Amino acid sequence: MFGQIKMIITVVLIAGIAGAGMYVMKLRSDNAILKANQHKLETAITEQNKVLEKQKKDFTAILESNKKLNVLINTFKQDLDDLDKRFTKKNRDIGKLAIDRTKVIERIINKGGKNAARCIELASGAEHTEAELKATKNSEINPECPALANPSYVPYQ
Amino acid sequence: MYHINKIFALALIVLLTGCSIGGEKKIKIFSVEKPREKLDYPMPTALQLEDLKWIIITSKNAEEVFKKLEEAGIDPVLFGLTDKDYQLLAKNFARIRQKLQETNNLLEEYKKYYEPKENE
Repeated sequence: MFGQIKMIITVVLIAGIAGAGMYVMKLRSDNAILKANQHKLETAITEQNKVLEKQKKDFTAILESNKKLNVLINTFKQDLDDLDKRFTKKNRDIGKLAIDRTKVIERIINKGGKNAARCIELASGAEHTEAELKATKNSEINPECPALANPSYVPYQ
Repeated sequence: MYHINKIFALALIVLLTGCSIGGEKKIKIFSVEKPREKLDYPMPTALQLEDLKWIIITSKNAEEVFKKLEEAGIDPVLFGLTDKDYQLLAKNFARIRQKLQETNNLLEEYKKYYEPKENE
């Protein structure tokens, strides 16, 4: 009788120790999973931050590019207005002027044509000459496209 | 005899389950994002235009102009524009130039945005 009780206690004890051991094992496994999850989350946050940073950089680049293009388009408008003014300033009639002062107008038109051709070359990607880069005076610039041909030139207001 | 049977049974179990210890290795599939190849075209070469000469011809100087052309061995023929059409031609020329500049600029901006240099 006593032997049987002893055996039951031993079995219960062993089962208890085994259960506790398994429980500890489960806790350790849960802990490992939680640690892995934590690491994954931290990595995900870092990745997200990187993506956000990149997006921010991209938006800045887009804004800057848009600004640049808008400035360029405004310059185009200004150039066309200037060209129109040169033909019509103070009720100027270029036809009558050409009749009265043929040689002078011929010279002006040839110079203008040459300047306009140079503007096309520059617009297609030609390199600026040293003189074009340095030009700051009205007498030095290419009046057909000063913004394109003479980056150092600041027009008088 | 009883022990031999036990050993035999044990050996049979080990023989049948032995291959399952360790098991087959699992195939791991992972994807690596490979960026698209850069197009990297060079920018178009710049234009080099020929010089041309405008001649103004009026009712007063017409004879003189044609005479000069003949003397220079050039066919005495001119392709003409009125002063108004000349102005239109000049404006058209300016518009073509602006469009060229705009397109080139856009191309540069696209290139800068989608194909930045390593240090940009």
